[in-house]
Amino acid sequence: MAIEHGIRLGGGGAKAVPALFNWVYLGPEFCENLLETAVCAELVRFQKLGKKVCLLTPLLTDKGAASLAAIFRELARLLRTGRLDAGRLEITINDFGALALAARAKLPVKLGAGRQFAYNVFEQNSGSLSLLNRRSLDFFLERGIRRYEISAAGAMPRTNFSRSGCGFEPEGFAFTLHYPYLNLTTTRTCLVGLRDIQPRDSVRGIDCGRECRACAFKVDHPWVKEKLLIRGNTVFMEFPGKFYSSEKELELLRVDRLVYCPLP
Amino acid sequence: MKILSCFSDIEEIKPLAAAGADELYCAVTGLPSFGEPAALPDLRAFGKAARAAHRLGLKISLAVNSVVPKLTPAEEGGLLKNLAAASAAGADAFIAASPAVIELLSLAEPKPAVHLSSVQPCFNSLTAEFFIGLGVSRIILPNQLSPYEARGILKLCHARGVETEIFDYRFFGCAYVNGRCSLHRPGYYTAAAAVQKGSMCRLNLPGSLPVPRTVGVAPEWKYRLGGITGRLAERLGRGGAPRMGNAASLYDYFAAGVGYLKYGTRRDPPDVKARKVADMRATLDHARELAAAYPAREARERFIKRLEGWDGKKY
Repeated sequence: MAIEHGIRLGGGGAKAVPALFNWVYLGPEFCENLLETAVCAELVRFQKLGKKVCLLTPLLTDKGAASLAAIFRELARLLRTGRLDAGRLEITINDFGALALAARAKLPVKLGAGRQFAYNVFEQNSGSLSLLNRRSLDFFLERGIRRYEISAAGAMPRTNFSRSGCGFEPEGFAFTLHYPYLNLTTTRTCLVGLRDIQPRDSVRGIDCGRECRACAFKVDHPWVKEKLLIRGNTVFMEFPGKFYSSEKELELLRVDRLVYCPLP
Repeated sequence: MKILSCFSDIEEIKPLAAAGADELYCAVTGLPSFGEPAALPDLRAFGKAARAAHRLGLKISLAVNSVVPKLTPAEEGGLLKNLAAASAAGADAFIAASPAVIELLSLAEPKPAVHLSSVQPCFNSLTAEFFIGLGVSRIILPNQLSPYEARGILKLCHARGVETEIFDYRFFGCAYVNGRCSLHRPGYYTAAAAVQKGSMCRLNLPGSLPVPRTVGVAPEWKYRLGGITGRLAERLGRGGAPRMGNAASLYDYFAAGVGYLKYGTRRDPPDVKARKVADMRATLDHARELAAAYPAREARERFIKRLEGWDGKKY
């Protein structure tokens, strides 16, 4: 099994990416405020450069769902006119609403469960990666999801991917492993962007100036030896060490794609 | 708006009913529920609790809302039997989060009512529609959704006859998306000191955190970083991200016709549970009185003013 390599690009994108990376991941994974139809042009551009592309999508409110619907309409148009190749495009879902939207849009592309959605089927800890149950796996398979995105969280976790481990022969899934940052938690009320909310404030949405694009922050927590990293509404940890010893090890974990995230 | 209260011991039922609870919920040890372990010991105890609740005219629901129910096919059969037993013992509804458990519940006969847990966060009307399609009859809204943002969900639920529920922001206020938070998993980090339960989540360390350092600064933001860094440092020091829930949101959800107000801190001592429910009852009675006596805007203003003086320290 050949391991594919991808790179996740932030809002600003990049003119080109090194040849090692045959996949380019674009789009906002954690915040709907960053959903913009302009991402479609970037998907087209990277496909023209010979790359496969994956659109990341976040948790959605109705406002974000409207933005994502607009993106899906544009993708449908680009696919229809041949400017995008469906065989080299995937969409990562992090919300049941996004899953419903994708079903409505009938885009002829593969869907994956993102890092905030894969927990419905797999439980990940630093020392283990477990399939929860057959029903959950089938539930997502029936809805077209075979790929699950997880973060690197330590070398060679234990798995239960066998009949003796989970009580049935588990088939029909593969992992994309993002490294080196693990997303620990996400808030909607952005840590760096949103203004404070007073008792009489009626919140109409997450009003921000896209401060998450400024930088990430490294935070020392007195009770934890590792540093926490914060970008926008999400808290990460970094796992800088080597998280696998060989491609064989990745195969055992059913990881067939690695995605490098230069920044959290 | 009715009041739904948690309980973790059968002895709590009468005081909670007297304090004003309209419905109750609990967890049972051995069944997959989310979060804190305060639960009834077994289904026999649940049956007793259900009878006690029903005698007082209260409905009772059972939380089986684990986000990560680990089940072999054989264990799945066992869970289905237990769910049927809980139903027969008097469960009026089940609170569920995992699609697998929701599907399992749809196989039970007679088909029980299912409430979508807030730990399977429903932030949009498409998600609401998706789970209504799976048979959910009540949606518990996540605390990080404002009434304005929820209006599509509320409209859909109203049209479909699906009930809605919110948390009382005064007694529950996770700063992060509930159900998707891994800050409580010590396996991910190396403790440098004893981590108090729940404290990692809030990072509530006023004055003791060094100023966050920037990483990978975008050049166009270079001269605007001071304010952002200060905001982040201040927030980490006082408990994390801003809370969406406030007096205004409680009144707006009330006015929008949300059916249930929830209190769910199962670990609270029995007397605190009863006092909090009594507080919720007084708050809702006041909201009703204001809504009947004043034009909408004035009722809202008066409600907010009263809650601005509310002091949570008494608990």
